[in-house]
Amino acid sequence: MSKVFMQGNEAFAEAAIRCGCKYFFGYPITPSSEIPEYYAKKAPSEGLTFVQAETEVSAFNMVAGVAATGKRGMTATSGPGFSLGCEAMSYMSAASLPAVIVDCMRPGPADGEILGSQGDYNQLTKGGGHGDYNTIVLAPYSVQEYADFASLSFELAEKYRNPVVVASDGTIAKMMENVELPEKNYQFKRSDWACDGINGRSHYNDITTCGDGPEQWERFNIALQQKYYNIKQYEQRWQEMNTENADIIIVAFGSLARVCIDTVKIATQNGMKVGLIRPITLWPFPEKAFEKYEKTNTKFFVTELNAGQMVDDVKIAVNDKNRVKFYGKLGGITPTPVELYQKLCEIYQ
Amino acid sequence: MKRELIFSGIGGQGTILMGKMICTAAAKKGYYVTLSPAYGQEKRGGRASCQVVISEEMGSMNISEADTILVMDEKSLNDYESKVKSGGTLIINQSMITKDAQRNDIDVVKIPFTEIATEVATAKSANMTALGAVVKTLDIVTLDDVKEIIKIKMKPALVEQNIKALEAGFHFCNK
Repeated sequence: MSKVFMQGNEAFAEAAIRCGCKYFFGYPITPSSEIPEYYAKKAPSEGLTFVQAETEVSAFNMVAGVAATGKRGMTATSGPGFSLGCEAMSYMSAASLPAVIVDCMRPGPADGEILGSQGDYNQLTKGGGHGDYNTIVLAPYSVQEYADFASLSFELAEKYRNPVVVASDGTIAKMMENVELPEKNYQFKRSDWACDGINGRSHYNDITTCGDGPEQWERFNIALQQKYYNIKQYEQRWQEMNTENADIIIVAFGSLARVCIDTVKIATQNGMKVGLIRPITLWPFPEKAFEKYEKTNTKFFVTELNAGQMVDDVKIAVNDKNRVKFYGKLGGITPTPVELYQKLCEIYQ
Repeated sequence: MKRELIFSGIGGQGTILMGKMICTAAAKKGYYVTLSPAYGQEKRGGRASCQVVISEEMGSMNISEADTILVMDEKSLNDYESKVKSGGTLIINQSMITKDAQRNDIDVVKIPFTEIATEVATAKSANMTALGAVVKTLDIVTLDDVKEIIKIKMKPALVEQNIKALEAGFHFCNK
């Protein structure tokens, strides 16, 4: 299969179409708009359903609707839109709906700016909506990985019957790279739980999130937590670079992890032993990556395009906050590899 | 082997298109290519720039210092002159920039893109003239590589004028 030079958002949209996601509901917002644009453009020739909703509130709930029928559907938005969709995120989590949501992060709070940011980390990994729920969050760092996450996100969503968020950002969304797109080989299989009409079933399926008394709702919540426990056991994903014998390990995800690849190289050229851990799943956070450093002196330099959100999870994973330092960049500015190297030297001189 | 480039100008000048052409040519030759664009909310008139990294492997899309920087307007010159690697090349659009560059540890090339493009093709091809000048500073993408991409990517009616503009920029650039 040959590679094509493509923009991140367009590559994701094309990959999603090839993975059988025939339903898109959304409200355009920079830097996510190329995804709805791509769906709208391809809808007539590919037999897709594209709806530009009146708000993200509607778009997210439309996704809930199509997911309830067992079909692949998604929406794409940015932080301001995701905030509006949070009620539906909570609902879809309780209703065990396998939906996929793309959040192309931009710097907030509120309208903010339109460049790359990672300010939605807490919102995506620690709720956003109400109640004890979690969604799987995948953070791509290249156009190829962004496109690959189209099929992975639907597979995970269906495996666990849980919403999956692809946490892209303004940089990864707009970036152009060579990408190998997936083959069109998705086979739709009817789900036994789906609300898709009786059509040969012996009973009607029902999806509800209303409790039937506190005891029943406690049992329901315990079952939900058991699912999250399983996801934490089996789905932690991360990537390591030069971590063996490293004195300092940089922890970064998404677009900033790309910058850190070069920072590690510069530090190594200057005689420092620096490695990189790149969380791929932001939830479940890859705690396992940090286990082997528990009784060591390895230091962790967490860097994010926010004021310090993932750093809390790193501190919990390392279980020694004195060994964890943080540097963040705000407003939509991405530091250069040299800037990060200088910051690293400043902190550890 | 790694080459880092920045193209910066005003929305509508075709700076991101130039980046795409170089990238497509380099990608075709098997390089790992990353184009990271940045632009404002305006359709025209705001800053439009892109960073291009051509390499053998994946790395940062954000450039610390670039081998070649093309500035199409004065504000871009102010913002990007300091980002040229020592010994690198700064290409200035003389049709729009009267100011001089300050640094003497880099090659500064000043070319009146609009005038040259008008002479050999039309003013609208000024960005292809600029692209020709950028290609002159590169060793991993040749003039012929970019010509091929123009033939594939552009409307047939526009191919000839854009190739003429590209060649003129390439030959004018005495780098």
